[in-house]
Amino acid sequence: MKYTDGAEIREAIEQYLPKVMKPTRYLGAEWNTVVKNWDEVKVRMAFAFPDVYEVGMSHLGLRIIYHLVNSYEDFLCERVFAPWVDMEEIMREKEIPLYGLESFRPLKDYDVVGFTLQYEMSFSNILNMLDLAGIPWRCEERSPEDPWIIAGGPCAYNPEPLAPFVDFFFVGEAEETLPQLLHMIQEQKENPVSRKEFLLKVAQVEGVYIPELYKVDYKEDGRIASITAEPGAPKEIKKAIVRDFDNSFFPTKPIVPYMEIVHDRIMLEVMRGCTRGCRFCQAGILYRPVRERSPETLLKQVDEMLKSTGYEEISLTSLSSGDYTCIQPVVQEILDKYSKDKVSVSLPSLRLDSFDVKLAEEIQKVRKTGLTFAPEAGTQRLRDVINKGVTEENLLETAESAFKSGWSSIKLYFMIGLPTETQEDLDGIASLAKKVADLGSKLGRRNVRVTVSTSSFVPKSHTPFQWEPQEGMLSLDRKQKYLREILRDRRIKYNYHDVETSFMEGVFAKGDRRLADVLELAVKKGCKFDGWHEHFKYDTWLEALEEVGLDPHFYANRAMDYDDVLPWDHIESGVSKKFLVHEHHKALKESLTLDCRFVDCTGCGICPERELQNDLKG
Amino acid sequence: MRTLRIRIAYTKVEEAKYIAHLDLSRVFERACRRAGIPLAYSQGFNPHPKIAFGSALAVGVEGEQEYVDLELEKEMDLKELLGSLQEQLPKGIRLLEGRQINPKARALMAVLNGATYQIRTSLTLPLTEEKLQKAINDWMDRSYIPYIRYNKKGRVEKDIRPWVKELKGKIKDHEVIFDLEVEIGNQGSVRPEEVIASLKKLEELPLEMEFLRIRRTGIFVSYEGKKVSPLEQEAFGK
Ligand code: SF4
Repeated sequence: MKYTDGAEIREAIEQYLPKVMKPTRYLGAEWNTVVKNWDEVKVRMAFAFPDVYEVGMSHLGLRIIYHLVNSYEDFLCERVFAPWVDMEEIMREKEIPLYGLESFRPLKDYDVVGFTLQYEMSFSNILNMLDLAGIPWRCEERSPEDPWIIAGGPCAYNPEPLAPFVDFFFVGEAEETLPQLLHMIQEQKENPVSRKEFLLKVAQVEGVYIPELYKVDYKEDGRIASITAEPGAPKEIKKAIVRDFDNSFFPTKPIVPYMEIVHDRIMLEVMRGCTRGCRFCQAGILYRPVRERSPETLLKQVDEMLKSTGYEEISLTSLSSGDYTCIQPVVQEILDKYSKDKVSVSLPSLRLDSFDVKLAEEIQKVRKTGLTFAPEAGTQRLRDVINKGVTEENLLETAESAFKSGWSSIKLYFMIGLPTETQEDLDGIASLAKKVADLGSKLGRRNVRVTVSTSSFVPKSHTPFQWEPQEGMLSLDRKQKYLREILRDRRIKYNYHDVETSFMEGVFAKGDRRLADVLELAVKKGCKFDGWHEHFKYDTWLEALEEVGLDPHFYANRAMDYDDVLPWDHIESGVSKKFLVHEHHKALKESLTLDCRFVDCTGCGICPERELQNDLKG
Repeated sequence: MRTLRIRIAYTKVEEAKYIAHLDLSRVFERACRRAGIPLAYSQGFNPHPKIAFGSALAVGVEGEQEYVDLELEKEMDLKELLGSLQEQLPKGIRLLEGRQINPKARALMAVLNGATYQIRTSLTLPLTEEKLQKAINDWMDRSYIPYIRYNKKGRVEKDIRPWVKELKGKIKDHEVIFDLEVEIGNQGSVRPEEVIASLKKLEELPLEMEFLRIRRTGIFVSYEGKKVSPLEQEAFGK
């Protein structure tokens, strides 16, 4: 690389800023950015988001980790995003290394580079970013002068395809354990011990997974024979969990970007976890049990954040904010206090009952937001299979009150390719959409608009459907075409995703370590931004799989046995395998499991094992 | 309720020069909200703050004296307003001066009709001062100067000469420094880089074009041969 220091990199980048789209992606210096004195801290971390700036900056996890690390006097945290292709081209041509946005230092200068793993299709960007930084991909190729490469986020629950590239994974919620690790890294800098000795020490931290301490053996047919931990490393990695969520760290001076980002508003995390128990949902397993924040804490945070950011919108975020037990008083209080200042509230995830419509109406008084519902499946039978506890009646009632209160457009989300899906379930999607549209027309709404979006089901690790095969691309494609036909109605718009992306997602979601070679090869061949339709190179992926000699169908489309060793078997979400098997059985019997917040414990196992319980404030 | 209208002159330099014009309104809105300035908002489902700028500054171009109008919902001491707003603005946006203006004053967009730029660029070959002056004079003497722009409709040829009021240049070390004055009309205007590119091409000057350093040194109301600042009340209503 031609440039090695921050001032040089800054000068070089600034020259090219007028030539790229959205230059403030590469500039840093936004409001509330934390710029620390490089020489006065002991450990320097770069938080790396493997997608563009406006996606990464919208991510709550980044906001939390960035300000959390910076809240320690001895640590510094800067940000780095995947440069968009126009900037990447310039950086490669002019040999400008990837840099941290606050100091413009090359990534190589940091002690730790921490990637967040939100989505399998961002894996290629991780390697591409390391390449842009001039950091070798594989742990074994890196020297002690290179940064530690760490990673966390939902995909850390099956991180195997990234195993050779990452020194430590964080499984679970890192708010308490990340600072612990950074302290250890500080110690290692001051009094270094051998890599092995250090790794074994770090392996004792709750939720830390160090792939090189685990050996994977395979059977002749390609399935895993065993996963063996080295002596001294824990056999199972237990996710880290925040126990006192109400008092846990939350940043009230988040960065306010110059350019418009995807979620350009205050994000208020009202709770963590969801126990509704949808059987396809990975987040619903990973973040158990439910922990709520108290209204007092939230209102204090709102006050501080409005003052520190100048934002005019507050989004109440969680996996299902309508379930937050104090939602109504909190929304009411925010509106009472701040609607005179034109502050509005939005709820990104709404539940299907009339209570929410009242709430939504309340919210609407200040600013208009869309109404989105996710019935996920077209018939009651299939909704029972996936344990989505909503009925057609619920949906129609909600739609009715929404139309009556003045909405004319409603979005409906469904999945196709769910286990046991039949023709009838597809027809059900269409008939539900039509019923909603008819209802709108009947209630005299002009411009009734129903947007139906389908995504293809991808079985995810740690869920009751983890053993299920993903449906083949051909038949998914046929289903989409069929839906397009039967959804022909001028009031209905149909959106769907390309099946190739879902297929690759399926491969990596259930993949093992052998896929690392494929990933490496695909990136060498130019794969990046796979989550962006215009950049996804399906044929290149197939080529890479072929050259490495792995069959993608083996991963995505094979039904696994209950007694197979799963690639993620050594990583524990806290929910027992027994419970997942039981839920899988119940799914096939179309039998529901209720939400343990409102009935007795349904036995997923995490509470007794970790001495926790659902923590509700209402 | 009496609304108050404030016109502010500010700089947009250093890092702030990369803030896109479309984002600038949001930057001011949030700064005002943090500063507790009671901005007036439009009515309706999607209330917009009443913030209005003059002519847009291209990304990467510095502005030494730009203007914005803010409408307030209630009265506020001007000095206090400027002071607290300044504290909340990004580096590079410095407030120079502010005045309360007539609520009925015409919008900045409508009154601003001239701008001056300074453009610096390197020489790719040696050039004498004389040759430079001759090139500039020859260029200015042309009565029709076509320039090709590309837009959604495709290739458009435009005469840029009418927009250029004055062009001066001098050589300093290996650099040429141009001072340019252009007119801004409701039919549009000419971009400084277009003027320099045309000059280079038509008069065959050895100018480096990839990294022009452009500053807008002023934007004003040209009135009876005088350049008047939009802060000066006399310029309105006429
Ligand atoms: S252990 Fe019981 S109460 Fe706790 S999350 Fe699991 S099912 Fe719910």
